[in-house]
Amino acid sequence: MAFKNIICPVCGASCDDIQVELRGSKIVTKNACKMGNAKFWEIFSPHRIREPLLKESGSFCTALWDEAVDRAAMILVKAKRPLIFMGSETSCEAMQVGLHLAEFLGAIADSNSTVCHGPTAMGIQEAGRVGATAGQSKSRSDLVVYWGSNPLESMPRHMSRYGVYPRGYWTRRGRFDRTVITVDPRKSITARNSDLHIQLKPNTDYELLSALLTLLHGKKPHPSVEKVTGVSISEMEEMLERMLGCNFGAIYVGLGIASSFGKHRNAEAALNLVKELNNHTKFVIGALRGHCNVAGFNQIASYLYGYPFGLDFARGYPRYNPGEYTAVDVLREQDVDAALIVSADLVSHFPAACARYLAELPVACIDIAPCPTTMISQVVLPGVIDAMECDGTFYRLDDVPVYFQPFTGSPFSFTDSNEDTMKQIFQKVKEMKR
Amino acid sequence: MEAMLNLFVSTRGSGKMMKEFLLNTGSTIEEGRLAKGGSKLTEDYTQECAVCEMNPGDFQDLGSPQKVKITSRDGRYSVAAYAHPEESIQSGQVFMPRAIWSNVVVDPETFSTGSPLYKGSPVQIEPTKEDVLSAEELVLKLYVRS
Amino acid sequence: MAEVLLQPKGKIGIMIEAEVIRADTLAKKRGEEIERLLVWQGPVQLPLGDFFEVEVRGTGQAEETVVVIEGDVSRVKRIGQGMKTGKIEILGSAGMHLGAEMAGGSILVRGDAGSWAGMEMKGGLLQIMGNAGDHVGCSYRGSWRGMTGGQILIEGNAQSQLGSGLVGGQIVVAGNVESFCGIRQNGGLVLVKGNAVRGAGAEMTGGTLAVLGKIKHFSPGFVEAGREESPKLGDLQLEGKFARFSGDYAISKNPKGVLYCKEG
Repeated sequence: MAFKNIICPVCGASCDDIQVELRGSKIVTKNACKMGNAKFWEIFSPHRIREPLLKESGSFCTALWDEAVDRAAMILVKAKRPLIFMGSETSCEAMQVGLHLAEFLGAIADSNSTVCHGPTAMGIQEAGRVGATAGQSKSRSDLVVYWGSNPLESMPRHMSRYGVYPRGYWTRRGRFDRTVITVDPRKSITARNSDLHIQLKPNTDYELLSALLTLLHGKKPHPSVEKVTGVSISEMEEMLERMLGCNFGAIYVGLGIASSFGKHRNAEAALNLVKELNNHTKFVIGALRGHCNVAGFNQIASYLYGYPFGLDFARGYPRYNPGEYTAVDVLREQDVDAALIVSADLVSHFPAACARYLAELPVACIDIAPCPTTMISQVVLPGVIDAMECDGTFYRLDDVPVYFQPFTGSPFSFTDSNEDTMKQIFQKVKEMKR
Repeated sequence: MEAMLNLFVSTRGSGKMMKEFLLNTGSTIEEGRLAKGGSKLTEDYTQECAVCEMNPGDFQDLGSPQKVKITSRDGRYSVAAYAHPEESIQSGQVFMPRAIWSNVVVDPETFSTGSPLYKGSPVQIEPTKEDVLSAEELVLKLYVRS
Repeated sequence: MAEVLLQPKGKIGIMIEAEVIRADTLAKKRGEEIERLLVWQGPVQLPLGDFFEVEVRGTGQAEETVVVIEGDVSRVKRIGQGMKTGKIEILGSAGMHLGAEMAGGSILVRGDAGSWAGMEMKGGLLQIMGNAGDHVGCSYRGSWRGMTGGQILIEGNAQSQLGSGLVGGQIVVAGNVESFCGIRQNGGLVLVKGNAVRGAGAEMTGGTLAVLGKIKHFSPGFVEAGREESPKLGDLQLEGKFARFSGDYAISKNPKGVLYCKEG
C-alpha cells in the first residue's frame, strides 16, 4: 500500500509531502529527511513500547492497561501540586485534554515550548511581531537571515521548502534571487552555505541587535560593542545595508536567541529590529520551531486559557509567570510533587538539578520508545504515533494549523491515540476525585 | 558572566590543566535521527552525542585528550565525553549535541524565563580517563537513588 | 503599638502564597483569628496556623502594627503584597513577590528576597539586607510601566531586570546587579553602587540610572553627552567624576534617559 501527502510528525516544518509505502512489516518513505525517516521506521521498530509498564520495587513489569491508567490517575490525584507536561510530538487534541486536566486538578501545565521558544513568545508579548506564513516568505523573500539557527541540522528541509532554494512567484530563480545571512558563533554548515556569516561571540546577541537598531536610528553605536560582540561596526553596517536593500526580508530566529544569555530580551530586540526595518522595506520574523507541534501548545493554551505556556491553575483560574510556574523552575525549586509527562524526555533535556528531583517523584509517562524519562517513571503507557496511527492537528512553525490523517491504525486495542489515553486518565481522575 | 574566560587553573597537586569555556549545545542531524528513531539508549547515540567539540588550539592546550570531563559552573555535576577538535568553533567555546550528556552541565538558572542556558553556559573542562557512560548508565549514576 | 509574631513551624514543602500576611490585614485581630486566615498551598487553602505559631502583643491601629516573622520564609510568596500601612520585619529570607504592589508602610528583610519584590510598588519602603532575585521593582509581565513611587534599598546584590519599566520612585543597590537593570525605564531613579553585567539602561526612554562600578557589556545605544563632577540626583548626592550618556538610541530616535557612569 502506498500513501501520498502524509504529514511528517518530527520537526516544526510539518512537511506535508511524505510518501509512505507499507510492505508487510517494512516501511519505505520518500521525501522525508533523515530525522523524519527514522521516526517513520518507529512503527515497526523492535524497541517500541507495546505494553503498559509498572515499576514494582525498582524494576518494570508489564501490566494490564486499566491497571496502568489507574496508577497514572492515582499519582495525579494523590499529589498536592502535580505537573502536567505536554510534549510537542503529539496532537493539539491531546494537549487540550492535558490542559483541561491541569485545570481540573489545579495543577501546572507546561510544554516543551517553554525550553524551546518560550523566551521568543515572551519577547512577542513585549514587542509584538510582524510575521508571515512560510508560503508568503517562499514567494516573496529575497533576503533570509538565520539568526542563532542552523536549519541544515535542525530543520533539514526548511531551506529547500520555504527559505532559500524554492522558486516562488517573485523569486523565480530560487537561491539566485536570495541573499542569505547567518548569525552564529559557530561556523555551522548553514553559515558555510551563506553569503554573509556574522560570527558573533556567544551571549552577545542583544548587544548586536541593539547596535543595529542604533545605526537604524542614525547614531553610531558605542565603540565598546565591537569588543563585546566580536563584530566590527563596519560589518554591522554592511549587514544592515544588505537588509535595507532587499524587497522582502525574512529573519528566522533559533535557540541562539531564545536559549542564550539575554533570553526574551534578545527576542524582543530582534522583534524591535524587524518593526523598525518595516519603516524602510518589508521585513518579517519567525521562529524555527524544533519539534513538530511545539507551536501548537502555545496556540491552544493561548486560545483556551490566555497564556502560551507555563500555566498554573492552583487558584482555579489560569496564571502565567515564567520563572515561577514553568517546568524547569518548579522542578529546580522542588515546587511540584508528581508529574504526568506526555511524549517528552525531560530527564534528557532538562538540567541535572531538575532531572534529579524528577527522578525522586512519582511520575507517569506516555511514550513510544524507551528513554531516560521512561526509566525514572513509575507508570509507562505506550504512545500512539500521531500522523501515522491517528488523526489530529499540528501547528506548523509559522502557526498555520495542519490537519493530519493516518495511513495505519493504532497498534493497540486499548487506546486509539494519545488524546484517547489522556481522556481515559482524565475520566479515572474524575472518578477518583468524586 | 564572562563572554570568554581563558583562565588556566591548576587543580590540586595534579598539575592538570583545567580550562573554562562557554558551552553551546544544539541539534545535529545524526542526533536528530537517533533521538527521533527512539535510539536514545543505544551505543550509536552515545558515540554521536557524548561528544565535546572544541577549537583545535584549545584541544592542543588541553594535551589533545581522547576524553574530557565537563563540569557545571557550580561544580555540582560533571560528565565525561569524547573530545573532538573542530575548526568551526572559536577558541574559548565548546559545542555538544543536545542530549543528556550536555544537559547534565547546562546551568539550571532561567533568569525568570523558564528556559535554562542551553547556549552559553560557563563550564570547566579537563582531560580525563573516566569512562564515557551511556545514557542509561548516566541516569542510574546521577539521577536514580538506590 | 501592636506586635504580631509569626514563628514558622517547620519546613514548608510546596511553596505557600500568603498575601494575608500584611500589617494592615493582621492589625486589630486576635491570635486565633489570624491563625484561621487562609493561605494557598497548590490548589488547597489552609489556615495560616498550619504553618506559623501566632502571638499577638499589645493593641493598636494598622499604622502602628508591626508583623515580625521570626525565621526563614523563603518558600512563602506574596508577603506584604498590596500593603498600605504598618510594618513587616522578616528575620530570615522571603519568597517571591514580597511587597508587590505595596502602597505604603515598610518592609524590612534581614535575609534575601525572591524575585518580583516590590513589583509595581506605589509607595512605602522596602529594605532588603541580603540579596534580591530578578524583577525587583519592575512592571507586570508584558507591561511597560513598573514601580511608580516609594523606595527600595538593597544592601546586597540583585539579579536581572531590576527596575524594569520604572516610572517613579527610587531603587538603590549597594552591591552588584546582573543584566538589564533599568530596562524600559521611563522615569524615577536607579543607583547601583557596584557593577552591572549588561544591558544597563537598555531600552530606556526617561529617568536616571547611575552605575558606580563597571558595566561589562555597555549598552551600545548610549551616546556620551558630557561630564559632571559630583552630580546630585534627586536627594542623592554622588561623589566623584561621572560621564553622562543619553539613550537608549536603540529604542527611540529621541530618548530622554540619562545614564551616569563613574570614571576611573
